[in-house]
Amino acid sequence: MPPRQQTDALRGSLDLLVLKTLSLAPMHGWGISQRVQQLSKGTLEVNQGSLYPALQRLEKDGLITSEWGTTDNNRRARYYRLTAAGRRALGTELESWRRFAAGLETVLRTS
Amino acid sequence: MDQEIGLHIDLESERLVREEGLDLQEARRRALVAFGGVERYKEELRDGRGLAWLGGLSLDFKLGVRMAAKYPGLSLVSVLGMAAAIAVGALVFGWAAAMLDPALPLDGGDRIIAVQTDRADAPGDVDQRVLHDFVVWRTALTTVRDLGAFRLSDRNLIVEGGGDDGVTDVVAVAEMSAAGFRVGRVRPLKGRPLVDDDERMGGAPVLVIGEREWRRYFGGDPNVIGRTVRLGGTVHTVVGVMPDDFRFPRNHGFWIPLRLDASDYPIGAGPPIQVFGRLADGVTFEQARAQVAAIGRRMAAEYPETHEYRRPTIVPFARTAEPTASGPELTWLLYMIQLGASLLLVVIAANVAALVYARTAARTAEIAVRTALGASRARVITQLFVEALVLSAAAAAVGLSLAGLALGWIDQLLMQKGPGLPFWFHLGLSPGMIVYVAGLALLGGTVVGVAPALKATGRRAYGNLQQFAARGSAMKLGRTWTALIIGQVAITVAVLPVSVHYASALLRTSIRDSAYPAGEFLRARIALDRDEAPPRADSAEAAAYQRRFEAHFASRADVLLKRLGSEPGVDAAFVSDFPGGELQRRFEIEGVQAGRNAAGGAGGEKATVRATHSLATVGFFRLFDAPVVAGRGFVDADTVAGSTAVIVDTAFAARIPGGNVLGRRIRSVEPRRVRAGNDEAPAPWLEIVGVVADPPSTTTDPDDIALPNVYRAAAPSGLGRDDAQATSILLRLRVRNGLTPAFTQRLRDMVAATDPGFQLHDVRTDAEVLRSGARELRTFALALAFATLSVLLLSAAGIYAMLSFTVAQRRREIGIRIALGADSRRIVSSVFKRASTQLGAGIAVGLIVALALDRATGGMLMGHLSADTVGLRGAFAVIPIVAAIMMAVGLLAAIGPARRGLAVEPTEALREE
Repeated sequence: MPPRQQTDALRGSLDLLVLKTLSLAPMHGWGISQRVQQLSKGTLEVNQGSLYPALQRLEKDGLITSEWGTTDNNRRARYYRLTAAGRRALGTELESWRRFAAGLETVLRTS
Repeated sequence: MDQEIGLHIDLESERLVREEGLDLQEARRRALVAFGGVERYKEELRDGRGLAWLGGLSLDFKLGVRMAAKYPGLSLVSVLGMAAAIAVGALVFGWAAAMLDPALPLDGGDRIIAVQTDRADAPGDVDQRVLHDFVVWRTALTTVRDLGAFRLSDRNLIVEGGGDDGVTDVVAVAEMSAAGFRVGRVRPLKGRPLVDDDERMGGAPVLVIGEREWRRYFGGDPNVIGRTVRLGGTVHTVVGVMPDDFRFPRNHGFWIPLRLDASDYPIGAGPPIQVFGRLADGVTFEQARAQVAAIGRRMAAEYPETHEYRRPTIVPFARTAEPTASGPELTWLLYMIQLGASLLLVVIAANVAALVYARTAARTAEIAVRTALGASRARVITQLFVEALVLSAAAAAVGLSLAGLALGWIDQLLMQKGPGLPFWFHLGLSPGMIVYVAGLALLGGTVVGVAPALKATGRRAYGNLQQFAARGSAMKLGRTWTALIIGQVAITVAVLPVSVHYASALLRTSIRDSAYPAGEFLRARIALDRDEAPPRADSAEAAAYQRRFEAHFASRADVLLKRLGSEPGVDAAFVSDFPGGELQRRFEIEGVQAGRNAAGGAGGEKATVRATHSLATVGFFRLFDAPVVAGRGFVDADTVAGSTAVIVDTAFAARIPGGNVLGRRIRSVEPRRVRAGNDEAPAPWLEIVGVVADPPSTTTDPDDIALPNVYRAAAPSGLGRDDAQATSILLRLRVRNGLTPAFTQRLRDMVAATDPGFQLHDVRTDAEVLRSGARELRTFALALAFATLSVLLLSAAGIYAMLSFTVAQRRREIGIRIALGADSRRIVSSVFKRASTQLGAGIAVGLIVALALDRATGGMLMGHLSADTVGLRGAFAVIPIVAAIMMAVGLLAAIGPARRGLAVEPTEALREE
């Protein structure tokens, strides 16, 4: 069994990416993965298969909600949107991520 | 979930086509690869929903069903065995529920109550002479609404007019307060129910009928309201028809107003009535009980002479009539039977567990691998439990269906047998029963699945992993199982003779009965309507009334007998009718001591002969063409009270030692008195004046059929003498040229013409009686055969499984022994040695138990039959057959594996090591 902490870190960053993306506009799953790739200018690629479990987890935690809608091409798709709790969580997650990144940066800079 | 992922794959492949110019198929493949295995993520999503255990469980169920299908023989045996036990359990449950938890099928039926007056001086007795109390309750008892009363009687119904020239039948009539209709809250189908005004003394005689009765006696006449019928001597006008939902108070379809005036009777007297009502809104049983008890105390203080011991109380109405008026003893008994029925499942399930254990043992390798791959012990046990649950659930379904069918059938049978049962007594499936059966299925699954699983997943399971490749299963069969097999064989051996004996006795009975021309015989119970107003409770007057009534009955019966006898081709006789048929007695023979009589007891006791004792009119033997083989038949002088003449049949004569039968004296003794030394006033001596060849017996009880007969003559008026137990008399008729329905109607007419007050009950031909008796016997014999067969089948299967398993385990050992040059004959004999030892031990134990059973129950359980006939002893002849079957099954089980063992190449066997 792989060490647990690593997955948690990965999951944490994926959650953050999803929340951030959804804070811009409600979107379906494939749209989220495309938007992340687009916003990161191709440097970040969401593992498409892990996206849906993450969405489910976030929905269970009440950070996002979903409903069925239709795409521009008139296809049925499940659209996810941020809840108020999700917006708050995004704020704190962002804050802690920035602290974490800064800390990491500081450590890495030390030679 | 599928749709969402599908859309994702679609959109992704479209993007790939658009941006990278791939063809659609390749794009789709790449999209799926990028997604990383759709199924895995579906599963992860499912996990996210907390349904993982369900996935595992449904997999277990699938495996369980597959496993059941893979071993069809084992599954069939297990399911059938457990289904039989579950069906028995459900049957008992259905019966007990109907008895213990009766519910009135009326609106708010649980609040309909009876005011019942218990006797403090005679616990269990209910005082029904409560007319005055009823009047008091009607005004003072505010916690109960719609207080009413009823009394029940049988009346002759004579319907005239219509197309028929009149229908005559005996019907159950309820004389009931109008409140009975309000309490039921059922609207009439036609016309009106009874109303309070109908209860007025001297009011017009009105009648409300039930839907069933309307269709049966009035052909569903739409203009039935206003028609008149006669009940006994009174003409009643039909004023209403009640729907079939309403059969209050017992199972009634004829209601007439209850017209009683309490001022006609002294306090504490009057005709027996039963009081009912409905709890007022918001009132509890306890409150109503407290109020009625307070009224009771007040009346006891006011009228101590009559009311000192009366304790009125409130009981649910459904508890006031048999069979649902159960006391605590019956409740306990039913619970014990229920427990026993549930234990039956445990016994059968233990058997099935033995079978499953053999299968599980063969799967130790699989279990070890699963454990090594990270399956917890609980997980493995769950799987084995679910596999067992599949079997027991199938058994539960089969058992429940069987029980449902059987209960429905019995319910219908009970309904057909007449209005004896209250309308709320209903047998059938119920939610409670389904819960109980589900519990049984769980119990069965636990016994079958968990016990072998615990054994198979014990500490040795890890060792198995190292060993299974080289050595096959390392599971050993414990002593428990050996004991189980021995017990099994023992029970089979002990039980079979008894059941074979009973089944054959039952069959012999039904064969023997079909010998006489039953189609020519007819029987009916005759009683006389008591339509007169009952006399005051003055005892001399009541006795005079009773005497008058009996004299009237006897003289009318005499007239009827003469009329019937003058019909061409018709013989008629009256026989005393005791509750439950003929009366059995023990007869002492003058001058015969024990030791000289085969049927007698030991020690210095008087030798006695058990016989059926009948009182009959003079023409009785003519009826059966029973020839008098010695002495004389009955003459009119024998019917005089105090006559000591008695006629016995040849079966009785054969039990009198010394051969000379005529002139010998016998007298009836109670079995108890024989033991007590006969110091109470003995019955008078009776002199045998004749012997008749055995007239046919029409009883269907195998215990009674072999009984000798003793007859005494009586006039119709004397049929009730000697035993006050005779409640009515039985008319026996023979029509030489065969019975027709027309004759039955003619009989009804003649009876009605002789006296309109005569009631004919249970008119049936002997053929009908025999047929229904034979049907009951066949059903019983069939059930017995089924039970016996399943015992045999289960033990055979158990022995087969155990032996084939043990021999299979020794396959390698056998191969090695052959490699080392052992003689194959010695190997075969060693294989069979263990099998025969266990079988032999089982048979020996069974034999001992069977003999002990016979010894212990020889005089009780088997009755006189075991002493009088070869029955049970003969049945012991089946023991060698059972033993042979068991041996054959055991050998059959051992042959296959033994042959495989012998066929193993020695080199192979050694290599495996």
